[in-house]
Amino acid sequence: MPKTDNREEGDWLEAEPFRIKVVEPIRRTTRAERERLVEEAGFNLFSLRSEDVFIDLLTDSGTSAMSDRQWAGIMLGDEAYAGSRNFYHLQEVVEDLFGFPYVIPTHQGRGAENVLFATALGEGQYVPNNMHFDTTKAHVEHRGGIAVNLPIPEAYDPEADHPFKGDMDLAALDDFLKENGEQVALTMVTITCNSGGGQPVSMANIRGVSEICKKHGIMFIIDACRFAENAFFIKEREEGYQDRDINEIVGEIMSYADGCTISGKKDALVNIGGFLALRDEDLYQQATVWGVLFEGFPTYGGLAGRDIEAMARGLEEVTDEAYLAYRVGQVRYLAGLLDEAGVPIIKPAGGHAVYLDARRFLPHVPQERFPGQAIAVELYIEGGVRGVEIGTVLSGRDPRTGENIYPELDMVRLTIPRRVYTNRHMKAIAETVKRVYQRRDGIGGLAFEYEPPVLRHFTARFKRV
Amino acid sequence: MIYLHRREELVVVKEKQRRTAPPYKIKAVEPIAMTTRDQRWQAIEKAGYNTFLLDSKDVYIDLLTDSGTSAMSDHQWAGIMLGDEAYAGSRNWFNLEEAVKDIYGFEYVVPTHQGRGAEHLLSRILISEGDYIPGNMYFTTTRAHQELQGGIFRDVIIDEAHDPTAEHPFKGNMDIAKLEALIDEVGADRIPYVSLAVTVNMAGGQPVSMANIKAVSAVCKEHGIRLMFDATRLVENAYFIKEREEGYADTPVRDIVKEMMSYGDGCTMSGKKDCLVNIGGFLAVNDSDIYQRATQLVVVYEGMPSYGGMAGRDMEAMARGIYEMVDDHYIAHRVGQVQYLGQQLLDAGVPIVRPVGGHAVFLDARKFLAHIPQDQFPAQALAAALYVDSGVRGMERGIVSAGRKDNGEHYFPKLEMVRLTIPRRVYTDRHMDVVADSVIALYEERQKIKGLEMVYEPPTLRFFTARFQQLEKWEI
Repeated sequence: MPKTDNREEGDWLEAEPFRIKVVEPIRRTTRAERERLVEEAGFNLFSLRSEDVFIDLLTDSGTSAMSDRQWAGIMLGDEAYAGSRNFYHLQEVVEDLFGFPYVIPTHQGRGAENVLFATALGEGQYVPNNMHFDTTKAHVEHRGGIAVNLPIPEAYDPEADHPFKGDMDLAALDDFLKENGEQVALTMVTITCNSGGGQPVSMANIRGVSEICKKHGIMFIIDACRFAENAFFIKEREEGYQDRDINEIVGEIMSYADGCTISGKKDALVNIGGFLALRDEDLYQQATVWGVLFEGFPTYGGLAGRDIEAMARGLEEVTDEAYLAYRVGQVRYLAGLLDEAGVPIIKPAGGHAVYLDARRFLPHVPQERFPGQAIAVELYIEGGVRGVEIGTVLSGRDPRTGENIYPELDMVRLTIPRRVYTNRHMKAIAETVKRVYQRRDGIGGLAFEYEPPVLRHFTARFKRV
Repeated sequence: MIYLHRREELVVVKEKQRRTAPPYKIKAVEPIAMTTRDQRWQAIEKAGYNTFLLDSKDVYIDLLTDSGTSAMSDHQWAGIMLGDEAYAGSRNWFNLEEAVKDIYGFEYVVPTHQGRGAEHLLSRILISEGDYIPGNMYFTTTRAHQELQGGIFRDVIIDEAHDPTAEHPFKGNMDIAKLEALIDEVGADRIPYVSLAVTVNMAGGQPVSMANIKAVSAVCKEHGIRLMFDATRLVENAYFIKEREEGYADTPVRDIVKEMMSYGDGCTMSGKKDCLVNIGGFLAVNDSDIYQRATQLVVVYEGMPSYGGMAGRDMEAMARGIYEMVDDHYIAHRVGQVQYLGQQLLDAGVPIVRPVGGHAVFLDARKFLAHIPQDQFPAQALAAALYVDSGVRGMERGIVSAGRKDNGEHYFPKLEMVRLTIPRRVYTDRHMDVVADSVIALYEERQKIKGLEMVYEPPTLRFFTARFQQLEKWEI
């Protein structure tokens, strides 16, 4: 691929493999306005209006910019309840790319999880995963199942530099299946591992999980939200894959599994959509019954035809290597800027976000004063940047003791939407973080002014201490 | 009210009414393929005589459903380009919330990806094992969600609703005596809410009168039971009230909608019908406790309470659709087009469910194909024959849809129908003429249509994927 020499203050990055076709204006606010707005929002960035945010890094889910080809697909929606041509297109793309012949579209990833667990998980059964994402865990638990995380130990060490920090602990999985074989509904591997910082899983590890599952006769399902980013890391870092095509790598990953759930809002480059893909016809037939109940008729699954078309087209675009190099490169670019400035981040940078290590960032603020939340608030005040706290506030309270659950990592996630912001935006973000870091000694903690009983992070209000 | 109505038995025709044209012009079109009769024979064979299994591309006029099939306006499409896809605080969400509060009048709104998402939340929050949920006739997904939570559905619709020929202006009404009898039988504390659908889909899109809504509401209040609307086609219902109920002729539909909803405690809504969108729905309630619990559940099943599994652009389209749906001219045209098709069939003596409802014309397949016994699937055969004749796709709503009892025998439903559902703003009256001509032609040679036998039957929801073949050679 052509490399343009685009040096800026000692770093270079290839220019984006696209040009901008449609823009959405964003509003600059003054610092005084932001001080007022964040106070009105109770120092909770979830309560801010989108229009008051300059750079929105709350999530990479559903926030991608679609291509002109995808937008053209939006105009080609066949909204027939049954037999829509958009569905057949999606089915073809999924079978081609993933090798799974059966596809049930769902309105987004959690819909696919709901259908999967309704079909395959019984009361009291276990689901081992490298690390469950929060909605996945919620679905397992709502069905009366038990979610078990079995990552390699390095996953919990923010400074450990491991190329595949999302790997599952194979020995632990083997032991677990040996002990609980009968009571395990299925094994999942999340690629990339979101809860662990967007860290990839190696092909060797996926192959290993597959072999162990086969040995014990357990179904193996991949949570494939960021499958293309993961494939890119494999190509980059795993021996024997440097000359392999991304499509081939994706095909090989999926060849080890019995199916996958996916939120199209990440690597399918769409604003809404997801699906469950399966290899086995019987399982598919059972799943369609739940699909109809929770999502929609099996050929639309709770999506407009146009959105199915956009998703099919997004899947065709995302495995483009130039795109993935840009995508992962942009996240790495931001991480590099912060690292150079000495800002404590989780290393190595993952595929979709940069995580600030809040406890090292604000060592003088104890966890019960929510250092991650405090940093997120200051980033907004400083530069209109909206990140999200992934730490004590998010963890909530232990339902039995009523005490705060203190996670091992208190973090602020700066999630980069796909194809939305330029590297100039990245520099503005880095500058904002640097400035906040420089004045960190003057930043105090927060306390609850109002704390809702559940999912407190969405609607809580805070005050400065 | 200036649409031509020929339903004298229900409507007092005001002097000589002039014909009107649709209150919109066409801005974008979607070409449809014309097929030959041979091609259609091949397609229906390939689909096992099940219209659900036809590819959309092989269908000329698609009357399978009015759900999600509407044509959006240019104003809505402009909204599609204004999607704010932020996870939290999207401006489209604020617009949607405001539109629902403004038009429906409920305090709290929880968005969902479509209607069944809202039904799922409501059932999960309010129903406990062994509870009874009275309703004016079942609907497939609604009842399935009630039963999933251990609830028991009880049909308390008036008797006329089950008789396809009974003329009644508000055939969707609840039978107050049946409702009270149920309350006496099981006790108000075993009834978490009364589910009132406006209009009633399975009865043929039949409306509920304002007087009936008030009466149901009064009974509910007396016994401390919540009244929840299935508001999917509430505007069509409001239009029937305007047309047929004394005192509402000069009331704008928008005000009728507001009054209807004012008697209830909340509603579930599939935006894919009256809100004129291709995807979306919501749950709206007045009770802050229900709202709080819904916001917790919606995160698990749908999405954050500020988007509920919808793209920002789709919330914007729905917010705009909500204002368009209560336009008096639009809704008069909408219901008028369904009446237009129905009247042509009535004039030709084709047996249909009367009176014609708000969103569909239902062919009475038992009478239409009186020579085919019900266990040879007359409605399935009629839907297949209609497709072969003209490429029109309807939907079986009869013995195939009803499924089997626990003992393995078919349910034999009283109503054996083919539903011809009219999408909103999609087809012209010329399309309606083609549909009418085809149905009438088939009716004239109905003896040539024979029964079917089922050759593949899935274990559940068989109507979606079952396959059939001709029992004896058709002559059409």
